[in-house]
Formats: sequence, C-alpha cells, structure tokens
Amino acid sequence: MANYFKTSVILLLSFWLAVFVLVPNLLVLAASFLGRDESGFINWSFGFDNYLRLFDPIYLRVFGHSLGLALMTTLTCLGLGYPFAYFLAQFRTSLRPVLLTLVVVPFWTNSLVRTYAIRSLLAAKGLVNNALIAIGLIDEPVRLLYTRSAVLIGMVYILLPFMILPLYSAIEKLDRRFVEAAADLGAGRLRRFWHVTLPLTLPGVIAGSVLVFMPALGLFYIADVLGGSRNLLVGNFLKDQFLDARDWPFGAAASMVLIGLLFLFLSAYAYSLKRFAAKDDRQA
Amino acid sequence: MTKLKSTYLALIFGFLYLPMAVLVLFSFNSSKYGLRWESYTLEWYRSLATDETLVWAAFNTLLVATLAASLACVVGTLGAIGIFRYRFKGRAVLQGLLSVTLMSPDIVMAVSLLVLFIALHVKLGFLTLLLSHTTFCLPFVTMTVLSRLEGFDPHLIEAAEDLGADEWQAMRQVVLPLAMPAILAGWLLSFTISLDDVVVSFFVTGPEFEVLPLKIYSMVRLGVKPEVNALASLMFAVSLLVVSSAQCLLQRK
Amino acid sequence: MFVAAEMRQFQQIFTRPFGLAKGSLCKRVERECKDRHTGMDCRYPEHREVNLGHPPWRLGSGNPCRNDGQNLKLTTLTGGIDLRWFRLIAPLLILSLCCTIVHGKEQEIRLFGWSDYLVQEVLDRFTLETGIRVIYTTYESNESMYAKLKLLDGGGYDLAIPSTYFIDKMRKEGMLQPIDKDKLPHYKNLDPRQLDKPFDPGNHYSIPYLWGTTGIGVYTAKFELRTIQTWADLWKPMFLGRLLLPNDMREVFHVAFRVLGFSGNTTDPAQIRSAYALLKKLLPNVRLFNSDAADVLFVTGEADAGVIWNGAAHRIQREEPAFRYVYPAEGVIIWMDSLVIPKNAPHAELAHRLIDFLLRPDIAKLSSEKVGSATPNAEAVKLLSPELRNDTTVYPSDEVLAKGEYQTDIGASITIYTEYWEKLKAE
Repeated sequence: MANYFKTSVILLLSFWLAVFVLVPNLLVLAASFLGRDESGFINWSFGFDNYLRLFDPIYLRVFGHSLGLALMTTLTCLGLGYPFAYFLAQFRTSLRPVLLTLVVVPFWTNSLVRTYAIRSLLAAKGLVNNALIAIGLIDEPVRLLYTRSAVLIGMVYILLPFMILPLYSAIEKLDRRFVEAAADLGAGRLRRFWHVTLPLTLPGVIAGSVLVFMPALGLFYIADVLGGSRNLLVGNFLKDQFLDARDWPFGAAASMVLIGLLFLFLSAYAYSLKRFAAKDDRQA
Repeated sequence: MTKLKSTYLALIFGFLYLPMAVLVLFSFNSSKYGLRWESYTLEWYRSLATDETLVWAAFNTLLVATLAASLACVVGTLGAIGIFRYRFKGRAVLQGLLSVTLMSPDIVMAVSLLVLFIALHVKLGFLTLLLSHTTFCLPFVTMTVLSRLEGFDPHLIEAAEDLGADEWQAMRQVVLPLAMPAILAGWLLSFTISLDDVVVSFFVTGPEFEVLPLKIYSMVRLGVKPEVNALASLMFAVSLLVVSSAQCLLQRK
Repeated sequence: MFVAAEMRQFQQIFTRPFGLAKGSLCKRVERECKDRHTGMDCRYPEHREVNLGHPPWRLGSGNPCRNDGQNLKLTTLTGGIDLRWFRLIAPLLILSLCCTIVHGKEQEIRLFGWSDYLVQEVLDRFTLETGIRVIYTTYESNESMYAKLKLLDGGGYDLAIPSTYFIDKMRKEGMLQPIDKDKLPHYKNLDPRQLDKPFDPGNHYSIPYLWGTTGIGVYTAKFELRTIQTWADLWKPMFLGRLLLPNDMREVFHVAFRVLGFSGNTTDPAQIRSAYALLKKLLPNVRLFNSDAADVLFVTGEADAGVIWNGAAHRIQREEPAFRYVYPAEGVIIWMDSLVIPKNAPHAELAHRLIDFLLRPDIAKLSSEKVGSATPNAEAVKLLSPELRNDTTVYPSDEVLAKGEYQTDIGASITIYTEYWEKLKAE
C-alpha cells in the first residue's frame, strides 16, 4: 500500500514534468539545430547556423536592448519599491493590512488591461499631455507613446508589486534591535542603512529582482502595445519567429539562449545566497 | 518625516491606481475616441453586454483558470507530499525542474509547449490550453505546499504511524489537513496567474476556444475603443469586489 | 531549495488579504483538558465510546493522547478545513460548467480577416437573416494569418481573406479547399475583369472581396501637402520620428523598390538587399509599424503622416477634413483581397453562405462604403452614390491605376524578404 502510494505519487509528478517541461524543452533544443522549412515547420538539416545567425550584430543588439530594458525595469522597481516597502513596514499597524491589500489588488486585474490603462494615459491627447498643456509646460503634445520610455513605464507599472511584496516581507522581518544597536554604537543614518538594514534585507532584494527581471524579458505584449511593433524585446523576437516569420529553428535557438541566461542568473542567485549564508556563519 | 513617508506611499499608490481610475472615468464618457470629456453615458456597457463572443471568452477564461488551478492542486499537492515524504533517485532533479519551471519566462514555456503540441499533432484548443496552464501553475502549488510541510514537525506522521495509521490514512488524515491552507493558497495563486496569463494563451489556444486576454489583446491593439474602457472597468470592479468580499468574509472572526 | 523560501514569503503576502497566511483556514482550538484521560489504551469503557470513529492519529478528532493525570493544553485543528472558501468557489465552478455544456449548440462561423475589414453592420445583418453567428478574429499581416493557419493545419477557421499573392502560395500548398460556385448564386455580380487572374485561374479557390491601394496619408495641418508627393519624400528629415508604416513586409519593401526604380515584386536578392539598405535609412523617421488601426492613430493624434491603405484613409477623412491621401508619383501599390475557405474548415457549408451574402450587391456596396476600399462587384458599383464613386481615394483614376503595380506572388524569395524584414524590425 505504502509503496503503491509512493510510486504513483512520484510517477505522477515526474510524468507531468517530463512530458510538459522536459520533453518540450528538449524538442526546442533539437529544433534549434535544424533548418527552416518554407511550407512545413522544420527541415532535417543539422547545423549550428541558427546560433551563428544570432551572432549577427543586429540580433545581439536585440538581446542587449532587451537585457538593458529588463535591468532598467528591475532597478527602477527597486528604487521605487524599496522606500515604499520600508515606509509601509513602519506604518501604523492597524492600517498596514489594508495598504498591503491595495498593493495586491492590481494582481487581480489582467495585466493587459493595466497596460491599456497606461497607454491611454500616455496618448498624444491623453491625460499626461493634457495636464502638461494645462499647466503651461508645453504647447504641443509630447510624443510619449511608442517610445522606449513608454515601454519602461509600462513594465515598471506591471511589475512593481512583484518587487514590493518580497521586499516588504524581508523588511517586516527585520529585527529593529540591530538597527538600534548600530545607532547606539554611533553609526550614522547612512551607515546604518548600508551596513545593517540593506544586508539583512538582501534576500528580499534578490527575490524581488528575480521576480521582476525574468518576466521583463518576455512580456512581448507590453512592448507591442506601448512600443509600436518594433522588436524591442526578446519576447517580441520569439513571437515573431514562431507566429509570423515561421522560422522555428531560429526562434528555438533564441529561446535556448534565453534559457541559458536563466540558468546563469539562477546560479548567480544561488551563489550570492550561499555567500550571504556563509558570511552570516562567520559573523556568528 | 512621517508626512514625507505618507506622501511617498500615496504617490506610489497614485501611480498604481491613477491609470485605472482614468479608465473607469472614461468608460462613462460619450466621446467616441475618449479624448475629451463630453457627457455621461452607459452606451459602452450596453454594447459590451450584447457582444456574445466576449461573454463566452470571459466564461472560457474562468473555466480554464478554475480547472487548471484545481488540476495543478491535485498533481502539485501529491507531488509535494512525495518530495517531502520520500527519498528517491531523481528527487533533486525533480526539484530542479520545478524551480526552473517556476522561474522560466512565460515566453520560453509558451514556445516549448507549442512545439510539443505541434510535434504530437494535438489540435490547439481547450485541451492544450488547460494542460499548459496546469503546467505553469504546478510549481507554484508544489512549492507552496512543500514549504508548508517542511515547516511542520515530521514526528506528527511518525506518531500517526505508531498509533496504527497506514500510509494512506496518515496522508489523508494528517498530512492533507496540515497542508490544506497551503493548498488553498496555491489554488488561489494558480487561479490568479492563469487568469492573468497572456503569453502562453497567445501561443497554445485555437480559434475554437477563445479566451478573454486574447480578445482584449486584439481590442487593445486596435486602438482606443470605448468598449475596452468599459470592459477594463468591469474587470477591475469585479476583482476589487472579490478581494474586498474575501477580506470581509474571511477576516471576520 | 533556495527558491522555496522566497516562494513562501511571496505566497504569504500574496494571500494575506484572503486571510490564508496565518493558517486561519483551520479553526484553531486551544483548551485545557481536565476531564478526559483517553488515548490509545482507553482503560475506561466510556472513553472508548468517545473514540469510536475517531482514529487516535487523526488531526482534529479532539482526541488527547494519553494523559497521566496532568492537565494537557491541547491545540487541535478542529473541523479540518474551513469550508467558507468553497462557498466562494463552488458557484463559479458550477456556473461555468453549465455554461460550457449549453455553449456550442448554435450555428456559428469563424472568420479570420484583416482588422476593420468586415463591417459589424454587415455581419449583424447576416446573423439576422440566417441565424448564423459570425465570430470575427483579426490578423495584422498575411504572414501571421498564414502562420496561424499552418499551426491549425487549415482547421479552426471557416473563412480567411488573404491578399492575392498569398492565395497562390496557399493553393499550391494544399491549404485551401475548392469553392463550389453552384452555391454562390451572386457570383455573376463580380466584374469579369477582376476574375480569372494568374494567382488562381478560374477562381476555383478564391472569391474577390475588396481591392484597393496603398499610398501616403498626410495630415495637412501638420505638414504641407506639396512637401510630400512621392515615396522618396518619406525619407525627408522633416518626418523624423513621425511616420506610420504598415506592419506588412511586402508593402514596406514595395515602397523602397519603387523609390529605387525596381519592380515591387522583384525576386532579385541584390535588389532586395539594396531596398533593405535604403529602408534602414528610413527607420529614424518611423514612429511605429502598425496596420491594425491606422485610422485611430491618425484621429487620436499619434500619427501625422505615413503609408496607409486607402480604406483607412477614407475613414480618417470622414473624421478629419484636413487629412489627405496622396498617390505617390512613383506609382501606387495595388492589392486585392479574396475570400478563401481553409482546407479543414469546420463549417465550409456556412462559409459558402457567407461568401454569397457578401457578394449581394447591397451588401458589397455597404462593405465598400464602410471600409473605404473598392468593390470588385459590378452590380454594387452601379448602386454606389456618385460621391463615393467619384472619390479618388476609394476609386482611383485610370491614370493612377495605369502607373500602379499589382502585388504578385514572389515564390521562394519570400525567405529573403522575411530575413531582411526581421533585421529591419530588430534594428
């Protein structure tokens, strides 16, 4: 009985992950070495052409832009989110659950709808432009939509709660006595933050950054709606290869590169956590 | 200082909510291109209500989200119990796969699932969508349940077995009740993620099974349409209603 | 498991508004237990009765373990799970299941077309007359339509509207099914000059729907009309970051070919490469690629000039009198879109009925009026108001047509086009 249960439970999960995660990714890996076919999907010619093609400066630039944009998004979210989470954690206890709920509520509205909301704000005759004209800062509407900054604003808007939540939980757990002790020992405000608060909340910072950075690479619809159909992100590029240009092997190669990046990122993350833990041990 | 902090909080909340507020306001605007305020109207809501395909897409979305979340809960919970309870070969691999699934960008998963379904000649539609959604919900459930189980005293199971419970009884009557809050949390998380998904649905669904995000996507791409404002406002109102009623229902002790 | 810890944090906060984080789903009962000394070895019969049906290991049975006279503080999870959650979810589940069962019984037809290319009014009238519901899904380019139909193996949609040059390709690849003209009594209304073209001799697979031109649209309040009379004018620095281009490979390349003096249907790789080089210089002027909603973009002030279809131009003119549609001196692009039925269309029979409906003179007239493109339907043209018939935006003069060039199939060179197009958009 126990054995049946054990076997079936393990088999169920392994089967699911194998069929829907492992095999598909292996298929993509295999496809990335094959050739493009005009009327079918792939053509059985083995080679590294797709990877070599990715090294074309134009495509490298797409990856560069995409990573840059994701990084900018992460940093902006961090810059906006850290003080927010910090102040929130210091807020009156009675109001905190309500405020926290308010952070979470946007999760329950489709992100496309929220992207659309940003779009209507940034439009040439939208609220931002009208307000700027009304206060006399500008005479003519500024072009806000279909720019890189519009995409950045959209990404920050969609991903900010993902940054705030882990940060908040890390800051809330922070033992205030450490900070007080540092203050008693004569550390200034800045040094207290840099040497006590920040290191202690670092796991939250890293968790938030991962939760923002990874999706930021793939959210093609934000770049589509706010950026005007240029290949700004790896996500758009992948979508184009699979659903418009029908160059599956090339798209598969790009997808593999993205997975490679993911692994790089995750191992860096694991490494930083390990170092963090090791440092903790040494200090203790 | 406190004032400064409150102002900052208010500013960020403004950033999060202002766009939605503008949308809601303009969904009542009679101007067709929604640029200037003209007069109050309910016309867009009316034309929305008559759009049958949209209503069906909304139902399909809810159906898939519910089923995918439930299926992910079943598979994920059992898997989590398996990982928690037993030591077996490939356990680390399984956990590694789970975390990779959890962290991989939607687009990578969407592409790989599309390749799988095309390779197997599966017709894109309800089934493919359900399987895909279950797959990306799965790690959320497993991780949530696992982290709760790991927080519990392992002696509880041993005690139950000492008291004569067999494996199945120990699972059903000890582990499952312990894991229940995490399972429900995982369900909720999965449900939300499934509702919100655009990327995976974009790749793996077919015309016979349209879901709301795709409908909205084409509407949004087509530019400013007041019906989109009305739809967005409705969705926002519904989510606000659900969250606040849950608050009231569940936190009243 | 490093992710697990983060997940826990994230999940706790995420679900906090629902009161899940603190484990409040289970009612926690703490009580002092003084009177009941029960357990595995219940020495007293009355206690044994209490235990009936409650295995001692079961959580929440309220069953204290053996107690040697001390007062135990019991913490048990009673009632197992808080069922309030299911009260929220269950109706949702039942409702959606019921609806799915009811759904799918009526007659419907799935139409895959360019955006704003079929008028809702026309589709509503079709539904009113026949009781067949039309589900209209849009695409932005022939390429994405083709890719989607390939994915679905010709199933899923009942009707699509590719441009001429894609019909040849799709026909040769066996993606289309022949159209039975016996089921189309209104086929005779079509202008014979628009039929039996090389891309589909005898019109076995395609029925012309609308034809039109691609030219330059300009908002004269922003730019003077005389400054933009040719395709080459688009490269002028005054348009820096202002232009709207269609998100359509063939059209954009066509513009460059005409500026360079090549045919718009060239298959010469060298010519394609030089067009690409020229287009790269145009990129700083391009604000966005979009062919979904050109009219909305102009009316809402997002675009002031650009390459657009005459249909969109006609619709903008109705809203903005200062808007002009220019036929560039190098020659305009002419295209035609036809109705086709994909190979595995689930409702081919109904698709035939819709095609015939669209061929009816009054309906073809309505389509042409609302979409703003020309109809190949000779009977419908007779019905058109003189205003529209003489609107050169919709029905260009013979002179313009003589200089214009039809888009035709380019065969395998499409791969070269695609490659450069991808590069252009990645730039």
